[in-house]
Amino acid sequence: MYELARITCEEVIPSVILFIDHELPDEAQYIVFEIHFQQCPPCCQVMEHERTSIELMQNRLRSSCNEEVPPGLHQRIREQTQRLSEESQEQFISQRTVTEISVPGFASIQITQEFTQHIRHDF
Amino acid sequence: MGVAYPLMEAEKGGTEVAIVDRARETPAQKKARFERDALQFTGQLYGAALRFTKDPQDAEDLVQDTYARAFVSFHQFEPGTNLKAWLYRILGTTFINSYRKDQRRPQLSDGELEDWQIYEASSHTSDQGRSAEEVALDTIADVDVKAALAAMPDEFRMAVYLADVEGFSYKEIAEIVGVPAGTVMSRLHRGRKLLRESLSEYAKDRGFNRGDNNV
Repeated sequence: MYELARITCEEVIPSVILFIDHELPDEAQYIVFEIHFQQCPPCCQVMEHERTSIELMQNRLRSSCNEEVPPGLHQRIREQTQRLSEESQEQFISQRTVTEISVPGFASIQITQEFTQHIRHDF
Repeated sequence: MGVAYPLMEAEKGGTEVAIVDRARETPAQKKARFERDALQFTGQLYGAALRFTKDPQDAEDLVQDTYARAFVSFHQFEPGTNLKAWLYRILGTTFINSYRKDQRRPQLSDGELEDWQIYEASSHTSDQGRSAEEVALDTIADVDVKAALAAMPDEFRMAVYLADVEGFSYKEIAEIVGVPAGTVMSRLHRGRKLLRESLSEYAKDRGFNRGDNNV
């Protein structure tokens, strides 16, 4: 067990948003904040008001921004992928080299190496 | 254009576990894997593209462009990591580099970095009723919500959309839009505030603000 640091209202308020967004730098801080909210109703009220307001906005945005994908977009992307894939196929090189080493009096050794290389071009 | 998309921090730790030997994958296998894994995000990417570009045709082009770049760079994507975040990063970069209409607008000042700290939860005596807020939001039409978003500067709109609609973390958003996480925080905070103010204006116009129901 180790003692959790206490924090003041002045430290809590500027980071309320981080608490709500789950962006505090480490897990232990959530416990520190929770303890503060349990003991400080005014800070707790600020946090809850802010959280409710953010959640309401998020819900409103999600319901408004629910867009239909235009007909044909999927198909156009598939065709484009097909085209790009064909282009890269032409640049796909397979190379195989066979090296045979034979020394008189010993069994011969055959080394087969296979190279598969993509010629890639990045955007 | 020379932009590479190697793996970023936030893209590690995806849940999907797949063993793919990318070095030995044939183009046909790569295409099949791409179609299986990446195309499922078309709808989400289109939604984001529409909010970013504010134009249906541009949004379609941006999504198609994103998929072309993603396919060509797909060997850089590490299977098992966060593919959605990777695709959004290509979408974000492509939008910022090629589709932004106000590219010549001066960049936001550095002052935005500290702004989030001046969070004015000014007092402990907040008296705004949340039910009033809820009622007001419900009365605003979808078209007005979209208009309010569209009226915001790109930086704020993208931050709000990526955080509040898509649920990305600050770190993921930072990688999608190519700025530090602290800047994302500031943009998100200011963006939310702007949006709240602008929506409350819409609500006021409709006469539903603070119970002042005198339409």
